[in-house]
Amino acid sequence: MMMSETTMRPTRAGIAVRERLTARRLAVMLTVLLLTVVVLLIVAVTIGSESVKLVTILKIMVAEVSGRAVDVSPENHLIIARIRLPRALMAMVVGAGLAVAGAAYQALLKNPLADPAILGVSSGGALGAIAAMIFAGSLPISRPIAAFIGAMITTAFVYALGQSRQGDSSIRLILAGVITNALLSSIVIFLVTTAAGARQRSVISWLIGDMGGETALLPLVALFVLMGIAVIYINARSLNLLMVSELDAFALGVEVNRVKLTVYIAASLITGATVAVSGAIGFVGLIIPHAMRLVGGSDNRLIIPASALAGGAFLLLADTIARTVIAPLELPIGVITALVGAPVFIYLLWRTS
Amino acid sequence: MTRAVTDEIGRTVEVPANPQRIVSLAPSITEVLFALGLGDRVIGVTTYCDYPPEATAKEKIGDTLRPSVEKIVALRADLVIASTASQLEQFIRKLDGLGIAVYVSNPRQVKDVAETIERLGALTGVTERARELSDKLQKRLAAIDLKVQAAPRPRVLIILSTEPLITAGGSTFVNDLIERAGGRSISANETAEYPQYSLETAVASRPEVIFLQAQDARLPERLKETPAARSGRVFHIDDNLMLRPGPRIIDGVEQVAAEIHPEIFKPGESLNPATR
Repeated sequence: MMMSETTMRPTRAGIAVRERLTARRLAVMLTVLLLTVVVLLIVAVTIGSESVKLVTILKIMVAEVSGRAVDVSPENHLIIARIRLPRALMAMVVGAGLAVAGAAYQALLKNPLADPAILGVSSGGALGAIAAMIFAGSLPISRPIAAFIGAMITTAFVYALGQSRQGDSSIRLILAGVITNALLSSIVIFLVTTAAGARQRSVISWLIGDMGGETALLPLVALFVLMGIAVIYINARSLNLLMVSELDAFALGVEVNRVKLTVYIAASLITGATVAVSGAIGFVGLIIPHAMRLVGGSDNRLIIPASALAGGAFLLLADTIARTVIAPLELPIGVITALVGAPVFIYLLWRTS
Repeated sequence: MTRAVTDEIGRTVEVPANPQRIVSLAPSITEVLFALGLGDRVIGVTTYCDYPPEATAKEKIGDTLRPSVEKIVALRADLVIASTASQLEQFIRKLDGLGIAVYVSNPRQVKDVAETIERLGALTGVTERARELSDKLQKRLAAIDLKVQAAPRPRVLIILSTEPLITAGGSTFVNDLIERAGGRSISANETAEYPQYSLETAVASRPEVIFLQAQDARLPERLKETPAARSGRVFHIDDNLMLRPGPRIIDGVEQVAAEIHPEIFKPGESLNPATR
């Protein structure tokens, strides 16, 4: 059996055994997760507030791929090809992105409670997107870009505010995030209430998160998220070393500052792109990486791709629930993620105390 | 001298027999009072009270959601008239506590506006004028009823907000307005007042007419294949005319009826078609 390089190092007793990352473990876990994503994607496209026959859905899929016309009603075609499928894909991309961004922030800040929403980075992204709506309303592409800038500035600000004289402080950082989030949220509410260009989307959809919006930006958001995930994955090994000790990482040849800056930009890019289309969906970035570590150890070379798949699966499931449980009415997706995520957060707090 | 009256939500209120210093807490109330010729007795209005134009010259007591108690006290109001539409339960209790007479009007449907007019007329001693106004309104309503009664009811989609899609449930004033105008809202069966609604259900319901509330709202891309959009029957609702339960509501019903049933109502004054 092929072994990855970590197993070549002398293992410490107990925990180290579980930490060992083998190619087999990697393959098994990623395969299982990938299958879950595929199954959930099929489920998401199959069910909705309107019932569309499976045969009809298959016909539409064939038509979409082959470009040939089929005998389905235009409504059904619209529902499957332009409402359900893009929305499901968007949920998948957003979930994958938020989970990886969470994993990256946790490694970068050495803080298990870091998450784009908790740190206020999502609100910063939302504010950027809203500013783009006000000043460049006719140019939707400006939204993810402005959200990226907003997310980046917020991360830098929260990080600076979270530093104490004694160095990194977990509690201080989370407090900085909470306060920044409160401030940015109030500005979001103010702008959405008062600025004409910002009123297209509701306050709730920005602050809690909602997948019911436009999906025209799907290709661009997918590109941003994939780029971000790729960059973070490339730096996974360096992140492993950083999580243990920056000094050791430096001694082992990691360009600490360059890695930190790169990962921080990539995580902000992901957060910005996702927030621009779905608002500040909470808890995905928090609970998914933790769940993956619980199952697969803490090696980021596994945690990053596993979080991407599991995050995609989680949001696909959450969105399917959000739009079917009280159909034809919908719930904001953030309600579902918070219902699942908040208890997990409480558990983590309790366990780490 | 005071007398006891029961207001439209069942409260018993001691009001002056002949109120002279009236404060209105809603644009619809202001419109009723001016239509009843009581403009001179109105001493305070909200910042949203923009009709008739004379109303804008009155003292402002705040907006409909956050009126100022101090201002109302300082104006020495002898009667405050509120509307349930403004959701001011707490504020009303506060005024009650200060011994200020508050009458609450509660028009839930278009036809209730006539009743509100008559009750406010009785309250202020202009019963005759109120009855005239109310009769006129009811006659015009009956005329619309008669015309749309036998006609098929086109499916209507009311869009209050686009991202996410928010529509109006069956118990709302706007839903009743659509019914009165001879339409049938696709969300009329929803019990929630302003539910977040499924886009695919909106598409599958094949709406024939779409009304957008916000003046700056654009029709969502994926609703552009609906029968309504294809036949150019997407309109903006004029909030001031159609969602304000005052005397002008009948103009609103007539306009909406003309949009829903162009085959019945000859092209007169129409709504501005939404830009697409």
